[in-house]
Amino acid sequence: MFKTIPFAKGVNLHIRQTTQFKTVNFSIKWRRALTAKCASERTVLTNVLQHSNAKYTTTAAFRSFLDDLYGTVLYFDTSKRGNEHTVMMNMETVNDQYLANTSVLNEVLGIMHTAIFEPNLENGVFKESIVEREKKMVIQRIESIFDDKSRFAQMRLQEILRPNEPASISANGTVEDIQSITPASLVAAYESMLTTDKIDIYVAGDINEEELVAKLKKALPFKDRIPEEIPTVVPQKHPQNDYVREQQEMKQGKLHIGFSTPVRFGDADFAKMQIFNGVFGGYPHAKLFMNVREKESLAYYASSSYASHYGLLFVVSGIEAKNEEKALNLIKEQLVAIQAGNITDLELDQTKAMLTNQLKESLDSARGQIEIFDQYKDLPEEFSVEAWATKWQAVTKEDVVDIAKQVKLEAVYFLSGKEQTAQ
Amino acid sequence: MKTIEFKQLDETLYYEKLENGLDVYILPKKGFSKTFVTFTTKYGSVDRTFVPLGESQSITVPDGIAHFLEHKMFEKEDGDVFQKFSEYGASANAFTSFTRTAYLFSSTDNIYKSTETLLNFVQEPYFTEATVNKEKGIIGQEITMYDDQPDWRLYFGTIENMYHTHPVKIDIAGTIESIDGITADHLYTCYNTFYHPSNMLLFAIGAVEPEEMMAFIRENQGKKEFPEPTPIQRFFEEEPTDVAVKERTLHMDVQKPKVYMGLKAKDTNLSGREMLQHELSVQIALELIFGRTSSFYERVYDEGLIDESYAFDFTLEKGFGFALIGSDSTEPDALAKAIKAELEKYEKGAQFASADLERIKRKKIGFFLRALNSIEFIANQFTRYSFNDMNLFDVVPVLEELTIEDLTKAFASIQGESQQTVFKVLPTEKGA
Repeated sequence: MFKTIPFAKGVNLHIRQTTQFKTVNFSIKWRRALTAKCASERTVLTNVLQHSNAKYTTTAAFRSFLDDLYGTVLYFDTSKRGNEHTVMMNMETVNDQYLANTSVLNEVLGIMHTAIFEPNLENGVFKESIVEREKKMVIQRIESIFDDKSRFAQMRLQEILRPNEPASISANGTVEDIQSITPASLVAAYESMLTTDKIDIYVAGDINEEELVAKLKKALPFKDRIPEEIPTVVPQKHPQNDYVREQQEMKQGKLHIGFSTPVRFGDADFAKMQIFNGVFGGYPHAKLFMNVREKESLAYYASSSYASHYGLLFVVSGIEAKNEEKALNLIKEQLVAIQAGNITDLELDQTKAMLTNQLKESLDSARGQIEIFDQYKDLPEEFSVEAWATKWQAVTKEDVVDIAKQVKLEAVYFLSGKEQTAQ
Repeated sequence: MKTIEFKQLDETLYYEKLENGLDVYILPKKGFSKTFVTFTTKYGSVDRTFVPLGESQSITVPDGIAHFLEHKMFEKEDGDVFQKFSEYGASANAFTSFTRTAYLFSSTDNIYKSTETLLNFVQEPYFTEATVNKEKGIIGQEITMYDDQPDWRLYFGTIENMYHTHPVKIDIAGTIESIDGITADHLYTCYNTFYHPSNMLLFAIGAVEPEEMMAFIRENQGKKEFPEPTPIQRFFEEEPTDVAVKERTLHMDVQKPKVYMGLKAKDTNLSGREMLQHELSVQIALELIFGRTSSFYERVYDEGLIDESYAFDFTLEKGFGFALIGSDSTEPDALAKAIKAELEKYEKGAQFASADLERIKRKKIGFFLRALNSIEFIANQFTRYSFNDMNLFDVVPVLEELTIEDLTKAFASIQGESQQTVFKVLPTEKGA
């Protein structure tokens, strides 16, 4: 799918020539081990880099330049995967051929260099006024989770399940760690990101490969580096059967349940675990949707998701507070039913068809191609949709039963309104 | 079957109006492995007073019924339609807006089976009192979920402030009380009136072979019988130009206040190219005044009046329209005041600069070309445009022709103090 070209030591370029899109997509990913402190610094850093640079010292000037390049998109973001923290810079620009007599690609590569290598510094550090304001912005972003009850409940469940571990550390960091950032500490984080992070560069679009590689070498002069090893997530002992109830001023009850599984992304049983999740609650044909919503009318949504890098499975549902016990029991019963082998051929076939279709569909966007390849590229075998479809096809009912038996409930979190709960 | 070519965009659109009145559009996209099909009726939450098919007196139906009907279309005598789509590996969904109800699926395989399922489930209603009552619990939880979302409350609160009588002010899903009154008979009445093929549009896009797909749909439709199409009569009460409520506050369990300034639009009886030009002009005017490259944005950002939630938007449909500008803000009153002051400058004759206009035009053209990578965007937007007699593929040529005069004239439709309203969501007071 992508052709990987070593760019510098510790830096890889993955390039894909395709006429499928009317735009060219770039994505640069900087990776290092995830800690709350590093996530905090790097999130503020992305905001500061996105604000301005040495050439365009105000947001308005920077954005005006991008608008003039037919609204070229340029944004930084942070994310996490397992024990890894990633800073991303994504760019998307219109392919020259759709514009009458204009060439924007060279300018786009120029601004890419500027945004990364020519920061807006004063006396060798980031400008204090910008740093302070962007710290505030990120703090507000973190605090806004409180206003979104589903996200808040999910955050609380993760804290209860895996306190102070990568599974519960936000890719945005913490308010405390952000408050202690200074212009000098931010420059240190910036320099170490540029010179010591493991880097992947992605390009997808209708490009001339040879020409673009040469241009990218100039635009992105990354030096050789030996990135620090990022440890894999080690399962730890946790208290079983935590049950936490909290209340806020709200109407709906948010039931969030955490399960653990020994199966991780890329393990031999990974495909089986994906099928299990699909049968349990991954789709509208799944047991959770069919029973909690369609049969019992308890909820508008009831679904499960598999956080494969952490070996966790989450079930979420929005219910009337008085139905807490009923819904919880119903959800547990669905797991027991699968463990007892109560799975139809139809459920299995539907799940396999949906997983295959979902993977194929995600490859219809450049961003999807980049993200899928990025996720699967480190596995020993080469990625292909057919290979994964074959793996899913091979999963039997017995496999799903075996996998389901290893899935253990670890914690329940219930967030509900103040006046409704009787307890 | 007609073909319409868009040379500069390298796209070819296939179109046919079937004998039963259904508009079918097919757009093959090279390199895509999925196909996305939408089947949409020109019927949304605002269509609550109308003359039912075959009758002469108008009726008013319970609030939230278009959305309720959308839910109930998925349940059939032999079970849930989602089951069938899953079997074909297709992701199906539906949504109800103010003016449309859309049913859709995307899939990389079994395209014809899924298309057949889509056509048949939307054209074979099955409602009983038992299934209708069962749905009330599910939709009740959907309504409750939205009730807890401060951003949704902010959005609807602002619209409620603006309108005296127009049903756009009623939540699309209705209320727990209003849906309680819905019966199977209501659903059949609405269904028979609004789901006639002549009131609907099908859009198929992606890895699709146009001749074959058109023949397949034609054959499916040819086998079904529909009554003669009759024009649908919908009724709306007179709506004054000014807003109904100037300012209102809602207290919720939030960390930070939220504020929206709403600008109610005049000139909402447009269609076709005139509507497209008007809509794009207002959007660009807002971008020039409130966009990220504006002096306004830089100032309120520096003063800490806005955060990353800052947004502005313009909505226009037949009979209603509004612009919204706002953000989460520790100083919601100061932000509302700043927005008002900025608007006043333009009322007092401040002019848009032509260099800025050219820049925003380029930005919009770039945005549009990027959006053409998304088959979901094309299908949904094309349908909305078509229901208003506009053509999605006219966006670039119309943008290129826009002048400062167009902007000034269009912007006048949302100017005027009496058309402004402010809605705030504030944290619940301690001890209350």
